[in-house]
Amino acid sequence: MAYHDELIEHAVFLAEFNLPGQPKQADLRRAVSAAYYALFHLLTTEAAQNWKHFRQRDRFARMFDHGRMKTCSSRVSSRPLPIDPAEIPVARSLKLVADSFVTLQSARHRADYDNSEVWSRTQVYEAIIEAQDAMTEWMTIREAAMAQDYPF
Amino acid sequence: MAYLPRGVAQPTELVKHLNPLDPLLAEAGAVKWRYTIDEDWSGDPAIFFWITLSDETADPRILGQTARRIKDLIYRQVDPQGQWGLIPYFNFRSQSEQAQLKDEAFG
Repeated sequence: MAYHDELIEHAVFLAEFNLPGQPKQADLRRAVSAAYYALFHLLTTEAAQNWKHFRQRDRFARMFDHGRMKTCSSRVSSRPLPIDPAEIPVARSLKLVADSFVTLQSARHRADYDNSEVWSRTQVYEAIIEAQDAMTEWMTIREAAMAQDYPF
Repeated sequence: MAYLPRGVAQPTELVKHLNPLDPLLAEAGAVKWRYTIDEDWSGDPAIFFWITLSDETADPRILGQTARRIKDLIYRQVDPQGQWGLIPYFNFRSQSEQAQLKDEAFG
C-alpha cells in the first residue's frame, strides 16, 4: 500500500478510536495531521516521479516546502478558468485539489499548534473526506500538463 | 500602498452578500452557522465558516455530500477568494457535538 494511502487509513483509525466513547483530542488532532500529510505526500511523490534520476527521487520529494506549496496552491485556486473549453474540466479538478491542500494545511497547523481549539469527530471526518476526495481527483488529472506544472 | 482585500475593506457589503445564505444553508442541513474574518496561519486574509449540522446530515455516511453541498452554496453565492480576497476555511460540527462542547466559535 502506498504511504499516502496508509496515512489516510491511519487518520480514519485515529478518528474512530474509542468509538462509541468520546474521542481523545490527541487522536483527533493526529488524525487531521495524517490527512494533510496524505495529500502532501501524494503530491510531492508524484512531482518527484518526473525527476529523471531515480535514486534521487526521495530526496527530491523532501525539498518541497509547506509554505511554498501553499503559495502554489493559492495561485491555482485564484486563477480564472482557461479560455479553452477542453481544459476546463482539468482546471476545475486541479482547483479542487489546490483548495483542499490549502484548507488541510490550515487544519493541520491548528491541530498541531493551537491548543485552545477543541476538535470534534465530525470536523475530523470532514477533513479526512476532503483529503480523500482531493487525492481521488488528483489521480484523474495527474498526467495533464496543467497538473504536472502545479507543484512548481 | 498596502493591499486591503475587499472582504476586509467592505465588511458591510460582504454581510449583504452572506445574509441570503441563511435559508439555503438551512435546507442543506446547517442548523446554525457563523463566520469570522481573520488572518490564517500564514498571515493571509481569510474567512472562517463555523457550521453546525443536524445530526442527520452530519452522519459520516453522508457528511462528504453535505459538506460539499454547503461549500458549493457558499462559493456560488459569495466566491470568497475571487470576489472578496479571502481564503475560505470551513469547520463542521454536529448538533450533538456542539451541545456537549459548547464551543463559542460555533455560536
